Amino acid sequence: MLSLLLLIPFLGAFVLLLSPSNPPPGRMRAIAITTLALQLLWSLRVLLAFDPHQGGMQLQDSLSWVPMIGLDYRLGIDGLSLPLVLMNGALTLVSAVCTRDISQRPRIYFALLLLISGAVNGAFLAENLLLFFLFYELELIPLWLLISIWGGTERAYAATKFLIFTAISGVLILGAFLGLALFTGTVDFSLTPILSERLSMGSQLVLLVSLLIGFGIKIPLVPFHTWLPDAHTQASSPVSVLLAGVLLKLGTYGLLRFCLGLFPQAWALVAPWLAIWAAVSVLYGSLAAIAQRDMKRMVAYSSVGHMGMILLAAAAATPVSLLGAVFQMVSHGLISALLFLLVGIVYRKTGTRDLEVLRGLLNPERGLPFTGTLMILGVMASAGLPGMAGFISEFLVFRGSIGVFPLATLLCMVGSGLTAVYFLLLVNRAYFGRMAITPASEDPSADARLDIRLSGVALRETLPALGISLAVVGLGLVPAGLGWLSETTATAMAELPALLLAASHGGLG
Amino acid sequence: MPVIPALLTHAGGRPSVEALEASLLAGQTLLADTPEHVLEVVDVLNSYGVVLDAYSKNLIFQAERQFLNPFPVFRFLDGDLSPAKIWRHLNGDRINFEYAEYCMKAMLWHGTGGLDAYLDSEPFAANCKAIIRHKTGRDPLLALLHPLFPNFLPEAIRAAATTHALGQFWRVMSDLFLDLARAEADGTVRNIAEVVAFIKAGLVNAAANPITYGVHLGGERFWVLPPEAGLTFLVDVAVPYVEAVFLRGMPFLGTVSFNAQAQQISPDQAQFAYGALYADPLPTMGAGIPPSLLMQDMYRHLPERLHALYRQRSRGEGDVRVKICMSFQKSMFCVTNAAIDGTFPHALGTAVPAEQAANRAYARAWAERLAVARTDCLDPFGS
Repeated sequence: MLSLLLLIPFLGAFVLLLSPSNPPPGRMRAIAITTLALQLLWSLRVLLAFDPHQGGMQLQDSLSWVPMIGLDYRLGIDGLSLPLVLMNGALTLVSAVCTRDISQRPRIYFALLLLISGAVNGAFLAENLLLFFLFYELELIPLWLLISIWGGTERAYAATKFLIFTAISGVLILGAFLGLALFTGTVDFSLTPILSERLSMGSQLVLLVSLLIGFGIKIPLVPFHTWLPDAHTQASSPVSVLLAGVLLKLGTYGLLRFCLGLFPQAWALVAPWLAIWAAVSVLYGSLAAIAQRDMKRMVAYSSVGHMGMILLAAAAATPVSLLGAVFQMVSHGLISALLFLLVGIVYRKTGTRDLEVLRGLLNPERGLPFTGTLMILGVMASAGLPGMAGFISEFLVFRGSIGVFPLATLLCMVGSGLTAVYFLLLVNRAYFGRMAITPASEDPSADARLDIRLSGVALRETLPALGISLAVVGLGLVPAGLGWLSETTATAMAELPALLLAASHGGLG
Repeated sequence: MPVIPALLTHAGGRPSVEALEASLLAGQTLLADTPEHVLEVVDVLNSYGVVLDAYSKNLIFQAERQFLNPFPVFRFLDGDLSPAKIWRHLNGDRINFEYAEYCMKAMLWHGTGGLDAYLDSEPFAANCKAIIRHKTGRDPLLALLHPLFPNFLPEAIRAAATTHALGQFWRVMSDLFLDLARAEADGTVRNIAEVVAFIKAGLVNAAANPITYGVHLGGERFWVLPPEAGLTFLVDVAVPYVEAVFLRGMPFLGTVSFNAQAQQISPDQAQFAYGALYADPLPTMGAGIPPSLLMQDMYRHLPERLHALYRQRSRGEGDVRVKICMSFQKSMFCVTNAAIDGTFPHALGTAVPAEQAANRAYARAWAERLAVARTDCLDPFGS
């Protein structure tokens, strides 16, 4: 059942790449959208088949692939990966829908989108460490191409930086996985925490730190974050949506699944330091966002801040905080995708994202009023206002963590408060006041007389953002659905250290 | 194709004080003469004429039939209290009479010219006294209010007088603008100079019309603005109206807000420059900007010819009120142009040096005020 989640996008990519004639870009987009819609429908089918009361992996598909090196094709899904698979399906579809007027190599573009979506599904579903690594690396090259071919003027720099950082991340993760095999003396790469039990705490720490840095680059956490603002700034809007909404989640998913999941005892040991790291990341991301004048960079830095909260939740590792981490992954995915989409619309219409230049875009007749309205909704959600997804996730994270790491949680709350600061700066600068899209001149009265003729935003351009906005509000008003899906898994993960301790003392025997 | 922001902006012309003064003295029109400008000005004044007709009738109704009514809840219904009319009113399917009230309050507050002088005079105070004595004898609420707030009723009568005077002024202007549309349709008016001349002739014809206002209270008639006050159309109402509504206006909160404590608003009312000729068309329909109500009203009565032109431009129907505002400013420059032409102290062709100097000083004073107005709409292509 789960294999279809890989097969559908990969087949779509092959159909696009191998189609003999040269179909027009519109038809290629239609093929990609149809494929992604099928993938999303199948993800929903998986959702129907999923039993939320089971804590472990379900609906497993397995096939022995290269047993000699321990590479098995084993897929499974639980309450942690299911929301991410659903989000991957939805946001890749949004990315394809948002891609319009693509003149340069549309065939490869859409094939790469499908390839990424399939690879991400593979990474979320893999039950074998090497299989995860394969999919983790598989999304890297397509994304590099998406930035370096269809990116902005500085795309070569940004794409190369992304490639180097993520390649190092991959090397560290692979090193840790191989190290696990080496230290335990087996070639069993299946996903089981009992493996690490055979290791000394020193070895566990070495492997855990390697994984932490590897996933820390991908999330990204300060100080490994510098590739992200560059990559976002240069990537086109649909690619930014994918990057922020889905690909960064590979990092946090890895953190929960492999760092916490494989080394629960070592994790408990380093958790206080991780909480401090999370607080630093949240505060740094938020403070850096305040200093930005490029709207997209501001949203990118806000990502750094909000992803740090997932580390805090993972460090606390209580059932509530881990549930909060899942919520935060979903809500950050939706909210940042929404914000990147809207910034993309602003950029497409005005030719600039500079907050020193843009003014008054909420102008009802000549500005971008509906885009502005959704932007205000997005920043409110990001700042954690009740009634929207951001509130539920941050509340759960803070509620679950404050008992374990009060200081780090309080600092993260300050970071959450700073979200309101920088996003209100953004909204106030770009959307209020007298409309302007060019730098202020020496003569303010001349600026106040400029007539501005932006083209309007058609409804079809806003529909994807509207859909995500509804999801953000829906998740905020009815969070029980996601909680129902993930609660059992989050509780099971939180109980891992105790379980292992009991196992090592023969308590389970 | 990357979007280049500078290509999406348009800076209209900005004639200097000298250039404006020279145009006025030479008898040239401020607005460039193009066929499109003629169409815009005539058609927008046509819709304005229809709206002014409604405003005028309502203002006169308010002044005569809602006089000193402490709760004038139904004042915008022109006496028609049928459920259908109330339903349309509550639905917003109506003319925004609030704009007319805003103009009345601007006139009352800025208070320039003969009407305001009369409202401060002894005879007016005596009229007020008589009216209040009569009214308080029959209305217990007003009888209670008057001793407690002795300035309240006289102020309400001043407001009613200004309301009625503005209603009379707009009656003339409405007919004039509708006549202009007919004159253009039958080919009598073909260019901007003829538009300005037509308006000027209309103003001059009505210049000496008396402005009077009386009310019936319990079968007895009382003068508020009696004929013996000698108030006339042009000097006592039209000129103060232009001063209050075209030039000074009020600094309403809109997309641009003003901080009075930081002296962003001049403490001297005479220095105000927030009127129709200075209004930024871009924030129309923003919260708190009354002229946007006027644009909405004109939109309801836009001639098809102008509407079709708007549909072809920029966002078509999407930013139609901004375009109406821009055309409206062009037309208001024509009206101002006509008013200036009609009020020069001496004939423009005079050879007497002293008269020439007086005309120059008059033109200079106007040019200085207009140079900082939205003259960017005067260009041939400043649409």
